Amino acid sequence: MSEITRMVLVLSVIAGVCSAALTSANYLLAPYIDQQTDFYVRGPALARLFDTPAEEVLGNKVVIAHGTGEVPVFFIMEDDQVSRLAVEAVGTGGYGGDLLLMIGIDLINNRLTGMETVSHSETPGLGGRIEEEGFRRQWRGLSLDQPVATTTEGGTIDGISGASVTSQAATRGTNAALDFVRGNRELILAEIAGL
Amino acid sequence: MAQLYLDTLTGGLWKRIPPFRLVLGLCPALAVTMSAENGLGMGVATACVIILSNGVISALRNLIPHKVRIASYIAIIATLVSIVEIVMKAFFFPLSQQLGIYIPLIVVNCIVLGRAEGFAAKNPPLLAMVDGLSIGIGYGLSLTLIGSIREILGAGTWFGLPLFGESFEPMSFFVSAPGAFVTIGILLAVQNLYSRRRGEKFIQG
Repeated sequence: MSEITRMVLVLSVIAGVCSAALTSANYLLAPYIDQQTDFYVRGPALARLFDTPAEEVLGNKVVIAHGTGEVPVFFIMEDDQVSRLAVEAVGTGGYGGDLLLMIGIDLINNRLTGMETVSHSETPGLGGRIEEEGFRRQWRGLSLDQPVATTTEGGTIDGISGASVTSQAATRGTNAALDFVRGNRELILAEIAGL
Repeated sequence: MAQLYLDTLTGGLWKRIPPFRLVLGLCPALAVTMSAENGLGMGVATACVIILSNGVISALRNLIPHKVRIASYIAIIATLVSIVEIVMKAFFFPLSQQLGIYIPLIVVNCIVLGRAEGFAAKNPPLLAMVDGLSIGIGYGLSLTLIGSIREILGAGTWFGLPLFGESFEPMSFFVSAPGAFVTIGILLAVQNLYSRRRGEKFIQG
């Protein structure tokens, strides 16, 4: 065998074995990574939305295929009935990229229970104030049937001063989540019942 | 034979201790040692990569053609680093968030490639893994030491535990970037001074 063939062959074999090893590591450990991401990234938002320790709600999770992606939906049961949902939503067009939000939905009273940020890269002190309780509190108790909007757009949400882009990204994300729940309510409940 | 293994095992702890004696792998030593915990985490991650890469490369040393050896080593090392990164994300998520980009950057850590080229390529797999273990422990100890000094002086804590009372005003200089250079510089100087007193031959340039 000529030297050049040998080099090509050995390198190809090494590259092949390496990619196989990586693929299997990725595949085998993916559930653990999901678990850890849920606990450390989504956990705090969920704990605040549901008012229970994150460990108790992290298991109550269904993933619904929507468009090209997947939407994780967390739920809580009361008297054998799904009472509240937390739907992950993407607030597109934030100042520092998309916002990852968690929208709380009360299915019994048909109200929003809140809006939490999972992760964002908004400017600290401006858009970063989306994390503040005072801003997010405005979501509590809003009706599910009407789209959420800032006051400048004719809605009820007082935007964060100096960060209307962030505020509008948050309402946009909320509306996307509301549309998603409205269109997939039966599917979500069926998925939960099937667990 | 046993003497050879023992020499290899202890070599990384003083005679070849990175980054002080080898003066390789300084980038993570400067960048991630803000706290003792980060230093230890980085040290353990690097140690795993060195042990495994030394083992694999040494096992393949007669198979890999000389001309493409560096490419092959990098492919193997990159795979191992990615696996370590995935494992860290799956089981030590907060630490992996803390260390961030420096975990994938172990690929270009000169210690790993240096040991592959300088030791694993010439020695049998078991011995190469012992060398990796020794260098890895040495590196982990050094990073923990640097991290401890910077954390104690710069934040008044050690592994997150407060050491001094409320009245202690930490020198936050030590947890910022210049503090890393000063700390490592002083440690290198102390180490050189000690070695000169003992009349040891210097390895570093």
